[in-house]
Amino acid sequence: MTKYIIKRILHALITLGIVIAIVFVLLRQMPVEGYFNNFDKYTPAQISVGLQKLGLNDPIPVQIGHYFKQLLQGDLGTSNKYREGYPIAKIIAKKAPISIELGLISLVVALGVGLPMGIMMARSTRTKYKLWDKFGTVFIVVVQAVPSAVYHLLIQLYGSELLGVSMLFDMDKKITWILPIFSLAIGNIAYYAMWLRRYMVDESNKDYIRLARAKGVPAGKISRVHIFRNAIVPLVQYLPNSILFTLMGSLYVESLYSIPGMGGLLVQVIKLQDNTMVQALVLVYAGISVLGLLFGDLLMALVDPRISFTKKEGAR
Amino acid sequence: MEKQPETIMQIDDLHFAFTLRGQLLHVLRGITLDVYKGESLAIVGESGSGKSVLVKTLMGLNDGNGYVESGHILYEGKDLTTLKTDAEWRGIRGREIAMVLQDPMTSLNPLKTIGWQIQEAVELHQDLHGEEAKQAVYKILGEVGIADAPRRYKQYPHEFSGGMRQRVVIAVAVACRPKVLICDEPTTALDVTIQAQILGIIKEMQKKYGLTTIYITHDLGVVANVADRIAVMYAGDIVEVGRCEEVFYDPRHPYTWALLSSLPQLGVKGEPLYAIEGTPPNLFQEVKGDAFAPRNPGALKIDFVKRPPMLAVSPTHKARTWLLDPRAPQVNPPEHIRALREKGRALKLCEEEGTHA
Repeated sequence: MTKYIIKRILHALITLGIVIAIVFVLLRQMPVEGYFNNFDKYTPAQISVGLQKLGLNDPIPVQIGHYFKQLLQGDLGTSNKYREGYPIAKIIAKKAPISIELGLISLVVALGVGLPMGIMMARSTRTKYKLWDKFGTVFIVVVQAVPSAVYHLLIQLYGSELLGVSMLFDMDKKITWILPIFSLAIGNIAYYAMWLRRYMVDESNKDYIRLARAKGVPAGKISRVHIFRNAIVPLVQYLPNSILFTLMGSLYVESLYSIPGMGGLLVQVIKLQDNTMVQALVLVYAGISVLGLLFGDLLMALVDPRISFTKKEGAR
Repeated sequence: MEKQPETIMQIDDLHFAFTLRGQLLHVLRGITLDVYKGESLAIVGESGSGKSVLVKTLMGLNDGNGYVESGHILYEGKDLTTLKTDAEWRGIRGREIAMVLQDPMTSLNPLKTIGWQIQEAVELHQDLHGEEAKQAVYKILGEVGIADAPRRYKQYPHEFSGGMRQRVVIAVAVACRPKVLICDEPTTALDVTIQAQILGIIKEMQKKYGLTTIYITHDLGVVANVADRIAVMYAGDIVEVGRCEEVFYDPRHPYTWALLSSLPQLGVKGEPLYAIEGTPPNLFQEVKGDAFAPRNPGALKIDFVKRPPMLAVSPTHKARTWLLDPRAPQVNPPEHIRALREKGRALKLCEEEGTHA
C-alpha cells in the first residue's frame, strides 16, 4: 500500500511538472505587456531592463529551471498586474477560505439531499407507479438541461424575495448564505441522485440480491446493506475531487452574489494578462486534480476489497 | 420412497403470467405437481419452458410485473399464492425454502466476506448471534468442504474459484436450515470436473438435513445422477412426470421422446445428431391443444384441438398426451426410445437406477 502511494505521488509530481512546463512555455509566447503595468509609458530601454530583472531574457529552459527552484522553495511568485508585487500565495490565502466554506457546506447539502433522493428513486422503481422515480427524473432532467445561469438567476430573484433577504452575499449575515449554497448544491444534488439511482437499480438486478432475497433478508436491510453499500462505490471515487474543487469556487454563483471568493479569479487574471498568476493558478488547478484522483483511488480501495494495490497472495 | 410418500408441497393448476408492454405472457399454464418429503425432484425442459419461473413462484421471487392468475401452491397446509408482501414471504424464504442459484460468480455480494454472508443467514434463521453464529458458520464451511474455515471466513468472493463459490452458496442455503432446497441449474456455470463434486455436496446436505431438493436443469446427465423423480416441462406446462427410471426408459410424451433422442450419447456415430424441428410456441398467444403438436411429426388431429389430460401410465408415472388415451391409435416411439425401453427392461432386473450412458 505505502509503496503504491509513493509511486502514485511520484507519478503525480511528474504530471504536475509537465503541466507547469507546458503552461510556462505557452505563456512565454504571450506579448511581454503582461509583465508591466502601464506598458505604454515605458521606453524600450526600460522594458528591456525590466525583462532582464524578471529573468525573461534568459533561454526558456533556464527560466523553467528558475521557476521550479522557486516553487520548491514554496514560493508561487508575485502578481504582476492583479495586485502588483503582491505575493500570489497571499492572494489565494485570502480568497480561498470563503469559497471553500461555501463549497463544503453546499457539498454536504448536495450529498444530504441527493443521496436520499437517489435511494428513494431507486426503491420506487420497484413500485407500481414509480412516483418518486418520475418526480426525481423530471427534477434531474430540468437541472441538467436548463442552462445553469437560468436557474441560478431564478433562485436569486425569487429566493431573495421569498426569504426577504438581500440579493447580495454578506459575510456576517448567515441568512444571505442560504441562496448561494443552494445554488451551488442544486447541480450536485441532481448529479448524485441520478448516479446513485442508476447504480442502485443496476445492483438490485444482480444475482446476489436475488440470493439475499431468497435467504429471507428483509427488503429494508437488502436496500441498505447490500444495494446502497455496493452502489456507492463508484461514486466515492469522485468525492475527493468534489471536495478539493470547492477551493476554486464557482465563477457564476460568486459573481452573481458578489462573493469575494476564488471563482473567476483565473478568468480575471487571464484577461489582465497577469502571466505569473495564470501560471500559479493553473498549477493549483492541476495539483488539485491530480491529488483528487489519487485520493479517489485510495478511497475506492478502502471501500472495495476487490481493489488491491499489493500483490495477491493465497487467492485462488 | 417405498412407503407411501408424504407430500410437502402441492402445486395445483398453477397459472402464472407476466404483463410485458401491455401484453400478457402466459408463462405457466396449469401446472399440477406434488413434491414429496425428502425426495429429489428434477424439473427438466428447454430454455424458456418456465422452469425458473415455476421455482421463483414458489418463493415469490418473480419480477413485479408477474402474478399468479389462478391455482394454488399448498405448502404444509399454507397457500403460498396468497402471500403478497415481502414481510409475508419472509416466513417462507430461507426459513422453509432456500435456493442455490445458477451462477456462483455473480450470486455472492462482492463487497462482503463470505463468512459475513453465511452468518447473515445463520442469524436470520438459526437465532444465533455473535461468536455462536461464527462457530456455526465455521461448521457449515466444513460441511460443504471448505477447509481452514477461520481463514476462509474472512475472505471475499473474488478470492474463491467458481466451484468454491458454489460451495459457499450452498452453505448460505443450508445455513437457513430450510426444509426444501431449490437448485436452479446448480452446475451449469461450472467446470465439468467440478460438477460432480457440487452435486455430491448437495446430496450430502440433503441426507444430513433431510432436505427435499428440487433441481432445475436441462442437463439430463445431472438428472440421471441426482433425481428420484423427473418432471418434464414444455411451454409452461408439465408434460410428463414420473420416477427417474420410468421417464428415462419408458417415456410416453412425444416431447420427452424428442428430448431424449437429442441426447448426443444416444446418437449413432457418423450420423447427424437429432434435433427437434421448429420453435416453442409463442406464449403471448393462447396455446391450443398440445403445445408440442406443431413440432411433433406424429401429432394426432386432436392434439391441435384439445389439451390432453394428465393420464396415468403407472401410479407414479403420468403424461399429458392423447397417446395414452385408450381411443388413441398405436403410435410407436422413435427408434432411440425403443432401444432405451429395451435397455431399461434389461436393467430393471438388476435394480439399476438412472444411467450415465
